[in-house]
Amino acid sequence: MRLPLVTPPVPPDKHPPSASSIWAEVRKRLSWVQEGETLKQAQLFLLLAVIIGLFSGLSVVLFRIAIDWAKLLAFGSALAPPWTRSLLVPTVGGLVVAYLVIRFFPRVRGSGVNQTKAALYIYDGYIPFNTVIGKFITCAFAIGTGQSLGPEDPSLQMGAGIASALGRRLRLSREKVRLIAPVGAAAGLAAAFNAPISAVLFVIEEVIGNWTAGVLGAIVLAAVSSVVVSRWFLGDQALFRIPVYHLVHPAELLAYAALGVMGGVSSLAFVKLIAYARPRLKALPRWTQYVQPALAGLLIGVIGIWFPQVMGAGYEYIDQAMHDQFTWQILALLAAFKILSTSLSFVSGTPGGMFAPTLFIGAMLGGAVGGIEHHFFPWLTGGVGAYALVGMGTLFAGFLRVPLTSVFMVLEVSGNYSIILPVMISNTIAYLISRQYQRASLFDLLSRQDGMDLPSMEERREEATLHVEDAMRAYQGMVLNTEDPFQVALTRAEASAEVFVLLKDGRERWHGIKKDELRGWAPGMRQTDPLRDLIPETTLPYLHPDLPLDEALRRLGEWPLLPVVSRADLGKLEGVVGLPDILGAYRAAGRS
Amino acid sequence: MEPERPCPLCGRNIPWGQTQCPFCPGHGGYFWSLRRDTFLLIILVLLILLFVITGFAVRVYHAVERGFAEDWYTRGEEDLRAGRAEAALADFRTALSYSHDDERYQLRLAQALMAAGQSRGAGSEARTYLLNLLEHEPGNGTVNLELARLAARDHAVSDALRFYHGAIYGEWDDDPVLRRRAVRLELVEFLLDAGQKDAARAELIALAADLPDDPPLQTKVGDLLLRVAGYDDALKLFRQALREEPRLAPALAGAGECYFQNGDYAQAERYLTRPVQQDPHLTQAAAMLDIAQAVLRLDPFNRRLDNRERARRAALDFNSALMRLQKCAAQRGIDLKATGGDPLQALSAQAAQLQPRAQQRYLSRDSELLSQVMDTVFEIEQSTAHTCGEPQGLDLALLLMAREQGGTRP
Repeated sequence: MRLPLVTPPVPPDKHPPSASSIWAEVRKRLSWVQEGETLKQAQLFLLLAVIIGLFSGLSVVLFRIAIDWAKLLAFGSALAPPWTRSLLVPTVGGLVVAYLVIRFFPRVRGSGVNQTKAALYIYDGYIPFNTVIGKFITCAFAIGTGQSLGPEDPSLQMGAGIASALGRRLRLSREKVRLIAPVGAAAGLAAAFNAPISAVLFVIEEVIGNWTAGVLGAIVLAAVSSVVVSRWFLGDQALFRIPVYHLVHPAELLAYAALGVMGGVSSLAFVKLIAYARPRLKALPRWTQYVQPALAGLLIGVIGIWFPQVMGAGYEYIDQAMHDQFTWQILALLAAFKILSTSLSFVSGTPGGMFAPTLFIGAMLGGAVGGIEHHFFPWLTGGVGAYALVGMGTLFAGFLRVPLTSVFMVLEVSGNYSIILPVMISNTIAYLISRQYQRASLFDLLSRQDGMDLPSMEERREEATLHVEDAMRAYQGMVLNTEDPFQVALTRAEASAEVFVLLKDGRERWHGIKKDELRGWAPGMRQTDPLRDLIPETTLPYLHPDLPLDEALRRLGEWPLLPVVSRADLGKLEGVVGLPDILGAYRAAGRS
Repeated sequence: MEPERPCPLCGRNIPWGQTQCPFCPGHGGYFWSLRRDTFLLIILVLLILLFVITGFAVRVYHAVERGFAEDWYTRGEEDLRAGRAEAALADFRTALSYSHDDERYQLRLAQALMAAGQSRGAGSEARTYLLNLLEHEPGNGTVNLELARLAARDHAVSDALRFYHGAIYGEWDDDPVLRRRAVRLELVEFLLDAGQKDAARAELIALAADLPDDPPLQTKVGDLLLRVAGYDDALKLFRQALREEPRLAPALAGAGECYFQNGDYAQAERYLTRPVQQDPHLTQAAAMLDIAQAVLRLDPFNRRLDNRERARRAALDFNSALMRLQKCAAQRGIDLKATGGDPLQALSAQAAQLQPRAQQRYLSRDSELLSQVMDTVFEIEQSTAHTCGEPQGLDLALLLMAREQGGTRP
């Protein structure tokens, strides 16, 4: 017997969803991202940070592949190219890059760090999107054809550019658009370095300059998501194979201190060379800018015939230096030639980064110093690889002047905590030497050469913050009590040198009253009436001696002065601060 | 409220009160006119699209890289076969630069680095590769073995032991039993070179317990046991080998040496005679055979001897010992006629007293005298060995008899 085919009944109100209804539902779900909802801006900012991280990670992956592909096409698959290619490729590459930069992407010159800072401090977070495209194309071509530059700083700027475009298009507030560029910068750098902590620290240390809680979460989110993407596609292996390291004897730290001295001196030489040559080359006639990168490429090619290691970013050679592949003489020569070739590439206006060359020079220098020390003191147990590793951080600290990032960068790259002591010693010495003989850091120097007065993070870090205690003075009078009889209070107030009299109530709260007001009430008052019936309910804000002075300005409002009280005892007056005191403190600080 | 806001297109500030940027010629068109939620959806779609594009690009590029890597790897193998070690190293390095994670390349480069050896930092680089591989595969037999070789080369005994054991108990792709046995043999060689005889003997005993019926292998392990004075264990192996191949010269020589070392000179002579005849290069076996034969020829305590022969041998031994005593004293500048505290002088005096009676005719009649004479002979040999070093020839035979506490004395 066949069963009749029965179509299940459709409930009258359950129609299959149409495309338009799905679209409407999605938009309803996303309604919280509509403009004008202030509370949701913060959530949108965090969501955007993740999106920026993903985009940055993807663009950095494509960027790295573009560089490698350009290199393969230009030089072939051998590690050491034939000499004809060594000469021709960087020269022709330089010509092409110069044409692209001058004709189509004039904003892509330089490393990208200062451009990101300029976006933050000058252009309200604005970075044109064609800068991202230009940076991608020109840097991939420049680095791929052997210019001695790295991909990290361009990645940083590309991340910032992507972030800026997204932030602007989503019509974030001006403050958020301004802050979104560093978020993207952290994402780009993290993906390029495969080191999220270092990227976050660098952006905070060099771009933003302080730990702003409002943006820190977004920076971390962006950095993490970009690294996840980068690792997804390129794998999670470290940039270098790290040699085994153990500090056997504390006396070996002296050897690392010597490396710090050498790192400081080399950093100085590197910065001075760039500082000297860059403005001079920029001042040459405009047509020379078409040939400057080509000439730089030709000279690098000449060096590359004997030392192909100096061409491009050179990560594979850093790896080899860490494993004792070169004699100390070769390492020293490589460090010197890399300083020369990177300076040539950079001052000629070729777009590209300084991070990878800095690491390269540091590794070679570290290896050379380690080799020399081993030659004279064979009992040193730290291998040359350990010196190369520490050397990378040392030059980072001395040349880029980011001491905190330099330490964490080595830790993050090596994954070895025991290297921290040599790194800290060596980096600190290099940083101090560099600071002593070169007042402005590289980034500050470059921005000033470009006619911009970007805030110097280094100077900002060292600015002395004024505190309330710097402006505070003694209260010249007696503190009244709200329970005091009016006549007693008036007498005490008259005896005070202050025009504004402080009062304290039974609950240790502070009040204030002008002496003139007190006098004005005298005719209608009995002598025994307590003060509490007269004074206003409003309590007086108070300060503590350790608070920043600008906090005093904020709290002062219309009050003539504020009490400065102990943190341990809010009823104990330590002094008072008024507007003249604050201004006096600022003036004194300005004079000093 | 913001007094002015930046233009999303050109970046310049839009003056207060104006809705459109006065600097931009026209507005951004459709893309810039979208609502925020719509734009966000488009962004998500773009993100997915970019993921796909990136994935495709990465895949294609990795395929190209793998192709290059394989080409360079093949070239490296060819260079290695042709004996161009440095070129092979460069080839493997290039291969690895295109395929960082390929464990085959890493292992091959590490092996090539170790083979090249003389190149600067080869050990360090090889070690890094190998440790990296070990991290991924702690039980990989090959990696453990290479690390052990590296540690052995650096005389890092404890590390070498750890890695050798890692290799012995590790995983091997092909013929694991054979590989593990070979590694243990290599470990034994290393321990012997490092002077760690006890550890080597322990490894050899473990190895001997699991050997197949393979006479050459049994002989090889037996020889190694001989080097650590494991004569009984070695003898078992030689006998097993000889059961399969009774004429196997190295096994016969090994067994002969075991008997020799155990003081069984008759058996030693029996086993050593044939291999020495077969192979004139077995000089050590030949020397042992000579000594064994000398012992058998000189031993007066052999039960099968009659009194006359016994006395003849004792007299011969006595004269030989006296000569050895005089030579040793002359070598050391000791005056045997003088009386002093030197043991050789005392022995000389003792021998002088015995000398008139240490003749065949007295000795054949007086077994007590024979014992007394032989005791003196043994004392002389031991004292002179102590003072002047190990003797050669007949004196060595006498010394061995002395060490065996009087040879076969009843």
